[in-house]
Amino acid sequence: MISAFIHKFSSPKSYVRLTEKLYPFFIVLGVSLLTLGWIWGLLFAPQDAVQGNSYRIIFLHVPSVIFAELIYFFMAICALMHLVWRVKLAAYLIKAAAPIGAMITFLGLFSGSIWGIPTWGTWWQWDARITSTLILFIMYLGVITLHGSFSNLIKADRLMSILVIIGVINIPIIKKSVDWWSTLHQPASISISGGSSIDPSMLYPLLISIIGLGFTLISLGILSSRSYIFTREKNKKWIAEHV
Amino acid sequence: MFDLAFSNLHEILDMNGHGIYVWSVYALGISMIVISFSIAKKRESLAYKKK
Repeated sequence: MISAFIHKFSSPKSYVRLTEKLYPFFIVLGVSLLTLGWIWGLLFAPQDAVQGNSYRIIFLHVPSVIFAELIYFFMAICALMHLVWRVKLAAYLIKAAAPIGAMITFLGLFSGSIWGIPTWGTWWQWDARITSTLILFIMYLGVITLHGSFSNLIKADRLMSILVIIGVINIPIIKKSVDWWSTLHQPASISISGGSSIDPSMLYPLLISIIGLGFTLISLGILSSRSYIFTREKNKKWIAEHV
Repeated sequence: MFDLAFSNLHEILDMNGHGIYVWSVYALGISMIVISFSIAKKRESLAYKKK
């Protein structure tokens, strides 16, 4: 029953039709919220008493690292769906999401390094949080490279899914690294379970930036996945009908 | 909450000496997002053309 449900709602054809309707809404919402969050954070939020204006990197850094982890987690769910229920759309989504995950993880690492120069006095430190995030970046590159190295795409989909599932162990390590080990990186400033160490004048633009980047990345994912679906399913009848 | 944190353009760009760090990060971030969208759009139109 679960299998029938999943296959009904996860056909590439249904996905393309649904995302065609959602894309304009997501892109407008994402870009608007991201612009609002960043302008608010960069120009209107007050200066931090300890870090001065360098803390304004937070409005890009925190959303980036949140989505670096979430995209990988999403890929792991897709990998499971592909391996257990043979959902081919799930493999297409992993293939489309991996470069976006790599890009946003790089942005998280880069922004953190630049932020480290005025606050820690160094751009890099081999501490648990930073090193585990670097491993996440390498995992994304590994997934992209592995899939690209096979001419048999069905085999590539399966091996890519296995690698994604192996790599998901790194996600709780990144999340808990600041609690498990003594690190240079500060503990989480905001939490889903409630409680925040940030003043509302800084927290609100941060939350808007997170939601804005989320919708922007979903839009990018829709665009990338659709072009990949068109390439993979080019000989299918529904593609000819759709185009 | 909605008062501008700076009094002129020079202060906005300089950010008490931190402007170079802040603006370089946002410049790269915006560039990477825009480039990713351009690549995705180009691939989508290429995929359509191949049909």
